[in-house]
Amino acid sequence: METLKNAVDFSDFPRIDLVIAGAVAFLFLIFPLFSASSFAMATMIQFFMFSLYGMGWNTIGGYGGQVDLGKAQYVGIGAYTTAVMLLRWDIPFWVSMPVGMGIAVIWSFIIGYPLFRLKGHYFAIATIATSLVLKDLFTVWSFVGAARGLEISPITYPPPDYMRLIFKEDIYYYYLILGFFFLGLLYMNWFRKSRLGFQLRCIKDNEDMARSLGINVHWAKIKTYAIATAFVSMVGSFHVCYIKVIEPVDIMSLDLSILIALMAMLGGAGSLWGPIIGAGVLIPLRSYLKEWLGAAAGLVGIDLIFYALIIMIVSAFEPRGIWGIVEKVRRRKRR
Amino acid sequence: MAFLEVQNLTKTFGGLRANDSISFSLEREELIGLIGPNGAGKTTLFNCICGHHPVTSGRIIFDGQDVTALKAHAMARLGIGRTFQVYAATGDLTVLEKVMVGCFLHTRSRSKARACAEEILGDLKLFDLSDYLVSELPVAAQKRVVMAMALGTQPRLLLLDEVAAGLNTPEIEEIMASIRHVNKDRGVTVILIEHVMEMVMKVSERIIVLDYGAKIAEGPPEVIAKDSKVIKAYLGERYAKEHGTIDHRSSINDQNQIR
Ligand SMILES: Nc1ncnc2c1ncn2[C@@H]1O[C@H](COP(=O)(O)OP(=O)(O)O)[C@@H](O)[C@H]1O
Ligand SMILES: [Mg+2]
Repeated sequence: METLKNAVDFSDFPRIDLVIAGAVAFLFLIFPLFSASSFAMATMIQFFMFSLYGMGWNTIGGYGGQVDLGKAQYVGIGAYTTAVMLLRWDIPFWVSMPVGMGIAVIWSFIIGYPLFRLKGHYFAIATIATSLVLKDLFTVWSFVGAARGLEISPITYPPPDYMRLIFKEDIYYYYLILGFFFLGLLYMNWFRKSRLGFQLRCIKDNEDMARSLGINVHWAKIKTYAIATAFVSMVGSFHVCYIKVIEPVDIMSLDLSILIALMAMLGGAGSLWGPIIGAGVLIPLRSYLKEWLGAAAGLVGIDLIFYALIIMIVSAFEPRGIWGIVEKVRRRKRR
Repeated sequence: MAFLEVQNLTKTFGGLRANDSISFSLEREELIGLIGPNGAGKTTLFNCICGHHPVTSGRIIFDGQDVTALKAHAMARLGIGRTFQVYAATGDLTVLEKVMVGCFLHTRSRSKARACAEEILGDLKLFDLSDYLVSELPVAAQKRVVMAMALGTQPRLLLLDEVAAGLNTPEIEEIMASIRHVNKDRGVTVILIEHVMEMVMKVSERIIVLDYGAKIAEGPPEVIAKDSKVIKAYLGERYAKEHGTIDHRSSINDQNQIR
């Protein structure tokens, strides 16, 4: 009961934040009624997915300060579990999603145990390495389609299929991921104020201090990593139903891992709104840059240059991202 | 059986014997002082007792249980709290939230942890600072907040590492009063590392003196103040000769001149 109360308790934010958040939430709800453009819809769905990826990253990377650059491996585990189970055994999304989460969590324990013996940059590099190894494995594993990947054909499953999540119109995906988005937000609101959330924030501050306060630092990190993993894998399962085609080079790419981390850091690592703000800035930017610049953008990496510029500007002012700037201004005003 | 018993505790770093076969014991609700020149091994002794460092040899027995091999977080669970000589607070947890972290050791409930933290902050007269970040506070307040954080875990034994360093006289009086209150009214056993001699002499029931890793003296404050070995090691030989009596205030400077 108290858990539920804490999840919906946003009272530590100033009223203005809640008014803005409420207004934005309302806009999200009515957005499909006004938007005719399928491009805008697709961008919004991407935005929700990446917000959720960012929220997952934010548990261990933001509140815990353990910079994780390997989240794509968990996107991959979720996506592949759902795709393989559907294509081979016709198992619906609502079963394969939790199974994927379970597999991802088990994998996270296996690599988390040794990885969290490492600190700082070594940890970041190790997460990249494990993700790339898993990607290479999938590239040669014929059971999961090897390098060609897998494709879910909408013809086999006449839409709308609520069990397998096969729809023709984006509006179905929109409201579904919006539902996940709100649930994810409530979960994160609970998490940041939970015992584990506090312990993690203390670990980020000072590990020796955390130990002296009775926190098993290693175990707290592993647990949180598992939570982050479950989050990301869940969205990965949705991701594959939405895009319908997966290849290891895409879904487990370093690019994706970095984009997830970058968004959360840009918006504000270790804050509730951070990943949402970050995704809100980067995802439309990415979509529109691609649209405006055409295929050339991807080739010469102009979009990457834009991200890099933004990151440099933000981190020059405030390493805690856009939300960090907001908080700084507020604290200054208060005194 | 004593509350805390340290038996022949030795800790080496490479060739350096930071703690050299130290033995002492402590009764419940005692308040003792631990003094000695810089580098004598005081902080290392705390680190060993708290499980932050594995000991090289010797035994530590706490409340009848051999805890020599336990890790730091397990020691906190058993009821040993500590503060750190240097603590640069960062992060976005407020004072109240920092104290809650310790309180969460014994409960999963946020409201219970909050009540526990509020009680401690009220008790240490820090309640008005609840919503500040630690880094926003003056040094004296920070030191008391650090004590409050340690108290969050409900320790039965509290190890305080130079909590009065860098404070002026009225601030020292204030923190001394807090320490005494924690000891007398909350019933917490305390070991206090301190360089400000007035403070140690006044609040401690007993003092242990370390030098070059070894225990060189132990006894009530008045006896320690006249102990020739202590004067030689800590207060300075030339100083003792010149003054005959002991001026605690300037003892550290004098010590530094000699070393
Ligand atoms: N982690 C460590 N590694 C190596 N040497 C250390 C370490 N901690 C302390 N020392 C050394 O042990 C000795 C005692 O240090 P310390 O316990 O901090 O002294 P004090 O707290 O009495 O000033 C010093 O010579 C110090 O350099
Ligand atoms: Mg010291």
